[in-house]
Amino acid sequence: MTTLVVAEHLQGRLREITLELVSAAKELDGPVAVAVIARDPASLTEMVNVEGVDEIVNVRVEPEEFESDVYQQALAALIADRQPEVTLLGFTINSMGYGPAVAVREGLGFASDVYGLAQDENGLVATRSFYGAKVSAEIEFPGKRQVLLLVRPTAWPPAQGSGSASVSELAVETAGSRARHLDFEQVAASDVDITTADFLLSIGRGVGEKENLPQLEELAGKMNAILSVSRPLVDAGWMPNGRQVGQSGKTVKPKVYLALGISGAVQHLAGMKTSGTIIAVNTDPEAAIFNVAHYGSVADLFDVAEELDKLF
Amino acid sequence: MKIVVCVKQVAALGDEVEFTPDERDVDPDYLDYALNEWDAYATEEALRLRERLGSDGDEVVVVSAGPEQVEEAMRRCLAMGADRGVRLTLDGPTDPIALARALAPTVERESPDLVFAGVQSSDSVQAATGTALADLLGLPRVAVVTKIEWDGSGPARVNRELEGGLVDVVEVDTPALLTIQTGINEPRYATLRAIKQAEQKEIEVIEPEAGGEPAYRIRRMFVPSRGEGAEMLDGSPAAVAQRIAEIVRERLQ
Amino acid sequence: MARDPKYDILFEPIQLGPKTMKNRFYQIPHCNGFGSEKPLNQAYFRALKAEGGYGACCTEYCSISPESDDSHRVSARLWDDDDVKNLSVMCEMLHDHGALAAAELWYGGPHAPCMESRCVPRGPSQIPSDFEHLTYAKEMDKDDIREVQQLYVDAALRAREAGFDIVYVYGSHSYLPQQFLTPYYNKRTDEYGGSFENRARFWRETIEQVREAVGDDCAIAVRMSTDMFMGDAGTQLERDCLPFVELCDDIVDVWDINVSGISEWGEDATPSRFYPSGRMLPWQEAVKKVSKKPVLGVGRFTNPDLMIDAINSGKLDIIATCRPSISDPFLPKKIEEGRLDDIRECIGCNVCISRWEIGGPPIICTQNATAGEEYRRGWHPEKFDRAENADNDVLVVGAGPAGMECAMVLGKRGMRRVHLVEAQDEMGGIMRWIPQLPGLGEWARVVNYRKIQIDKLRNVEFIPSTTLSADDVKTYGAEIVVIATGGYWVGDGLNGATHDTIPGADAGKPNILTPEQIMRDGKEVPGEKVLILDNDGYYMGVSLAEKLALEGKQVTLMTHLGQVAPYMHFTLEAPNQHRKLHQLKVEIVTSNMLESIEDGKATSYHVYDEQHKTEWEADAFVLVTQRRSNEALYRELKDRIGKDALAAEGVTGFYRIGDCEAPRLTADCVFSGHRLAREIDSDNPDVPKPFIRERKVIERELALA
Repeated sequence: MTTLVVAEHLQGRLREITLELVSAAKELDGPVAVAVIARDPASLTEMVNVEGVDEIVNVRVEPEEFESDVYQQALAALIADRQPEVTLLGFTINSMGYGPAVAVREGLGFASDVYGLAQDENGLVATRSFYGAKVSAEIEFPGKRQVLLLVRPTAWPPAQGSGSASVSELAVETAGSRARHLDFEQVAASDVDITTADFLLSIGRGVGEKENLPQLEELAGKMNAILSVSRPLVDAGWMPNGRQVGQSGKTVKPKVYLALGISGAVQHLAGMKTSGTIIAVNTDPEAAIFNVAHYGSVADLFDVAEELDKLF
Repeated sequence: MKIVVCVKQVAALGDEVEFTPDERDVDPDYLDYALNEWDAYATEEALRLRERLGSDGDEVVVVSAGPEQVEEAMRRCLAMGADRGVRLTLDGPTDPIALARALAPTVERESPDLVFAGVQSSDSVQAATGTALADLLGLPRVAVVTKIEWDGSGPARVNRELEGGLVDVVEVDTPALLTIQTGINEPRYATLRAIKQAEQKEIEVIEPEAGGEPAYRIRRMFVPSRGEGAEMLDGSPAAVAQRIAEIVRERLQ
Repeated sequence: MARDPKYDILFEPIQLGPKTMKNRFYQIPHCNGFGSEKPLNQAYFRALKAEGGYGACCTEYCSISPESDDSHRVSARLWDDDDVKNLSVMCEMLHDHGALAAAELWYGGPHAPCMESRCVPRGPSQIPSDFEHLTYAKEMDKDDIREVQQLYVDAALRAREAGFDIVYVYGSHSYLPQQFLTPYYNKRTDEYGGSFENRARFWRETIEQVREAVGDDCAIAVRMSTDMFMGDAGTQLERDCLPFVELCDDIVDVWDINVSGISEWGEDATPSRFYPSGRMLPWQEAVKKVSKKPVLGVGRFTNPDLMIDAINSGKLDIIATCRPSISDPFLPKKIEEGRLDDIRECIGCNVCISRWEIGGPPIICTQNATAGEEYRRGWHPEKFDRAENADNDVLVVGAGPAGMECAMVLGKRGMRRVHLVEAQDEMGGIMRWIPQLPGLGEWARVVNYRKIQIDKLRNVEFIPSTTLSADDVKTYGAEIVVIATGGYWVGDGLNGATHDTIPGADAGKPNILTPEQIMRDGKEVPGEKVLILDNDGYYMGVSLAEKLALEGKQVTLMTHLGQVAPYMHFTLEAPNQHRKLHQLKVEIVTSNMLESIEDGKATSYHVYDEQHKTEWEADAFVLVTQRRSNEALYRELKDRIGKDALAAEGVTGFYRIGDCEAPRLTADCVFSGHRLAREIDSDNPDVPKPFIRERKVIERELALA
């Protein structure tokens, strides 16, 4: 089974998801090729040449940044040329703009937000979530010789170690792009509206005493996070209810939700479980928050907070 | 001007779950249905464009696929102000590629100036139907749009919000398909009168042409075991903090 | 949904002497204003908790004799066979639900004013009550002791006859048996005073006699306060209580452990303003360590995790609840069914207790509008009839406590569509900012519970950030319109003391502020010195004083009343609130009223000597004078548009509720919204349907014969 990974880059920098895709590809038998679609693919070659990559295919295209038509044509050409059984893209904003188009045009098997991969006698089996991540499903691709998958970021660790991949080039004719990159703008930093924050540092009953709040507020500031809380802290009157995450507070969906000392009552989980990446620190290994967390640590929140304080 | 908005009635699970006997889906008794959140934003964006640019005869048409009950979600859009609906009689859940194939002929028949779809649906989170549909319609597309500037003809200028708070400004030729991100606007609420009036609006029901084969098949649905997906970070507090810092920086890059 | 197995322990039976209690949920004695003279109200009120899963329910304090008569406050009574008859209904209804019935045999000693019976109570020593003014007891001699013990025995036998399974020889809250145990009350020099053995003698003898009388037909419970927080004079855990538990463990079937005396019994029935749940666990644990019998106790437990923690860590065997059982009689059932987010959690405001303290009126609850209405209005907190006009659409304008409650109940009554439209971006109304006052965080539960319920109701839609004009309302498309736009604190000094505004009072100025301006609008309180005028008398003035003092301001709190926040006496918040204000160096000025405010100066006069004036300098003046209804929308709809024009648009019902009608306690606002929704299909929903007045109606002919 040959696997093709499409590298993702932005403003000349390789994105971490690329190396995670390599790790995912390595779970399948067979060679792994990484395609770099860029104006100057060679500049990224070294970074994708990690352990487990057999071939790097450089595809030179005109636009410097992502354009969906160009990527669609390039990927279609790559699949036609290399005939990979599996093509892996990140489940990212860019991939959403062309991956499904390739799949429908080329008649590929398709699924996105995949977080597990396996092979058995019936072929490829991917795992993904349904219904608000409350259930998961194993899905298969009967009758599909080729499959395109969009893989959930952080589901696999980034591949490391230097590799010894061969480097080749594939010439692709791309017609004019109907959606053209013009510019980048930075989004203004979000204020205390926890529903729009990208990064929430959320604290709960584990904080113990009101006197401990300032140190965590300070940490949130240093980490460039917005502080949110679970209900007991609002009940105690330590924090205004505008900061409360949960069924009776706000539903949040930050890119990162760092929960310190939150056990994870059902009502709390209802308000945050669709967050991008959930990291939970709690002294109780049975805490329900670990059920929804992507990363967990059974530790005292203050020990971890103290160390985090040194890192930001 | 005509804008087609593709909408979906999504299913939400409560705290309890039972599966169908073949274990390929959730028992429908455990599901609650509602208009997909993203699609409310898409509908609102279409209505705003019509209000800003439109003239008599302009239309916002909602298209959906599913059994009769999905008309409930479509009526939400009609109550918000969409003019009419078209429902494809499609039974049971389908994958986004097959859904796009089913929708394509109907959307094409409308000859819209713009097609909107939500970025993704809350129950399936594939973020794929819109982009696949665009390809079938031969339309340029931009996914995950957070802002639209358009004067009614020629290319539109749209924002795409990337990971890490960076906004990609894109010029897209029209007609085009845009997948709309939440937060692009504030969807209006329908008054009770509008809801009542929406009950009278037309929803055309169409038998879909035969679609292609599905892009995947669910083999088995299950409740993820406790802690599945949570990678436990071991080691000293310093090591844990180090790893957290890495993850945070990586995710917010 | 099945309950989480970790809660199984709460549903394990437990033996109380001869009786088996089916689970660990116990409704502790608490008042409801019904006593034995409103027996059906009493029975329905308690039985509902049994229906909600409680394994045992108690009467309130139940007087054993006319010489322990607490009127004007309402207690239950077991004075004679007619009381037996009346209370037997409660016992039978509890038994029908598989719950045990308990009677708190009560003798108040010097605390019983006997205003109805005009008897003279008896007590260990002749010292006037520290709770009830001008109330003295007759100092008991040995004959008195025998006679009073016989009163206990007779009452216990009547309790058994009525069907009670558990009888209390009740000491807590400084009632007679504990008065004997406590030097503060017991100055005797005979064998009933002095040493521990002597001070314990009356109580032990009484328990023995009651036990002897009821035999194995009833379990014997003892409630004891294990710390009165009054130093050596009060009951002490180590010196008195643990030895007493050891002394009587063999003759007591279950220990009910709390703390506090009577004059500050807010240390027991703790307001959330000062104490979180589980405040008494250290004392309960201490008793549990020395007793071989089950120990139960209260702690305002609403969270099942705290309940199982108390049991698993060996601090309690049985979770007793009082206020949480008023707020949600179905607390056990909801835990059992895994419906934790449906629990209507007590907010610890103590308005329930305030009604008892006032003496007379039936119980109310901020969270549970049906409390006390089980019999007289036939309301069930968990059951809602489908409204006869359920095919109507309803518009509720304003999502404060009244609007939320009304929309929720209308939703549960199956109205076709209910739109709850709110100008702000979240529901809650005043309960969005009141919980930001010091100590009032738990009051946000008023919003939390309703928000969760409304989220679940498919026929109720919450529409935030939308301000409707009268014309918008008219054409909204609802058949029924409910205006719940709340109220506001006036900015011109209008007040209930002078019934006039205060010259110079104008909250449009930067140095004159209202509570909402400070708490909701973020208006800055300028300078260092703040004078707060409080003509309201409840929590707002003192809470703002506390908040501003905590922020470093130099605060003067003035009231025309004889003391600040007199209503907080009834909610048991007063003592600790006074302490707090004192510690924060808030200057308290009573019996003074502002005459005028001019720039940075104000003049007050003494209300009993109007010529006695005082000048005050302050950088800011906060007006907590009175509230008024936000009735502009209502008036415009009624007066400008008119009911006929509304009817022409299809509006057939047009009502207002909550503060929009008249500013009141939040409990009354919630009730107002609930009441309208319960009666939305009555002949005239504007007027409350009559409730059953449980009273004696005379046979006129016989009376005149």
